Amino acid sequence: MVEDSVVQTKQIGKYKVEVIRSKCISAGSCEAIAPGVFALDEEGIATVISQDGNSDDEKLLAAQSCPTDAIVVTDIETGEQVWPKA
Amino acid sequence: MKPQRFIAKLADKEFFNEKFSKYVFEMEEPHRIDFESGQYVSITVDETGDRRSYSVCSNPDTHHSFELLIDHSPQGKGTTFLQNLKFGDEIDVMGPLGRFVLAPDKGEDEIVFIATGSGIAPFRSMILYLLQDLGEKRPVTLYWGLRHEENLFWQNDFQDLVDEYENFKFHPVLSRGSEEWPLCKGRVTDCLAVHDLPAKGCYYLCGNAKMIEDVNTLLLSKGVVAEDVHFEKFY
Repeated sequence: MVEDSVVQTKQIGKYKVEVIRSKCISAGSCEAIAPGVFALDEEGIATVISQDGNSDDEKLLAAQSCPTDAIVVTDIETGEQVWPKA
Repeated sequence: MKPQRFIAKLADKEFFNEKFSKYVFEMEEPHRIDFESGQYVSITVDETGDRRSYSVCSNPDTHHSFELLIDHSPQGKGTTFLQNLKFGDEIDVMGPLGRFVLAPDKGEDEIVFIATGSGIAPFRSMILYLLQDLGEKRPVTLYWGLRHEENLFWQNDFQDLVDEYENFKFHPVLSRGSEEWPLCKGRVTDCLAVHDLPAKGCYYLCGNAKMIEDVNTLLLSKGVVAEDVHFEKFY
């Protein structure tokens, strides 16, 4: 008898985020809004610790909250830059 | 406090001069804001969701409203949005945000604030909170650099604090002051170079990046440890 296998799927959002280190001023709003995705490193610069630690909405809000537009949000499927708006 | 999105409405505008104004927003939903002095809010300024960030310049002990200092000179999207607001208009806000807040008291000898231009905004909040709410007794000194006499504002408010709190000192510095300007002239760094700056002080810097870099270098040369210098670059 073949046992039913349990297939686990991990929900991955449609947004990918990147931090432009040279623009980061350590305001920390990204970490406050999406702590599962962003953390400040030992230099106080925001880094991406996980792409799926928070929802897409929270990732986008974190990017929008950055006072220097240091976070770039890209739609994984289309490749379109969602934020900052071009 | 974790940042949240909220609605606020324009309650007052105070036009200081051609360069600076203060906007007062009343909380609508929710009715209360809790923040630490030095933090900022992010405001939606157009239909695409574009946002601009502004430090809150009011005392955090007021929860039903908050005040923002606006520098009009960039005439960017944020300034245009705010200038077009009518009394009662609602805005979409996210906050409070930011980590540029009062550091824990380590028993430093003095607290020194050094600002240029609109960098004064978070310091007004911090100074009001320190003196009025925390009853800070250590010397608290503010150095504020601007260009011309006509750019000055809040000088009477800060002078009132000098009169009320014997431990507070205020040094406005004008880089392009007139010949009649009786106080510090030049860049704020020039003024600091001739003042006694305690090595065991807690320093806060806010304003243009060049000022922060130069003042930081000056402070370190005077024996201030890097951990006692806190800064936020505005521009």
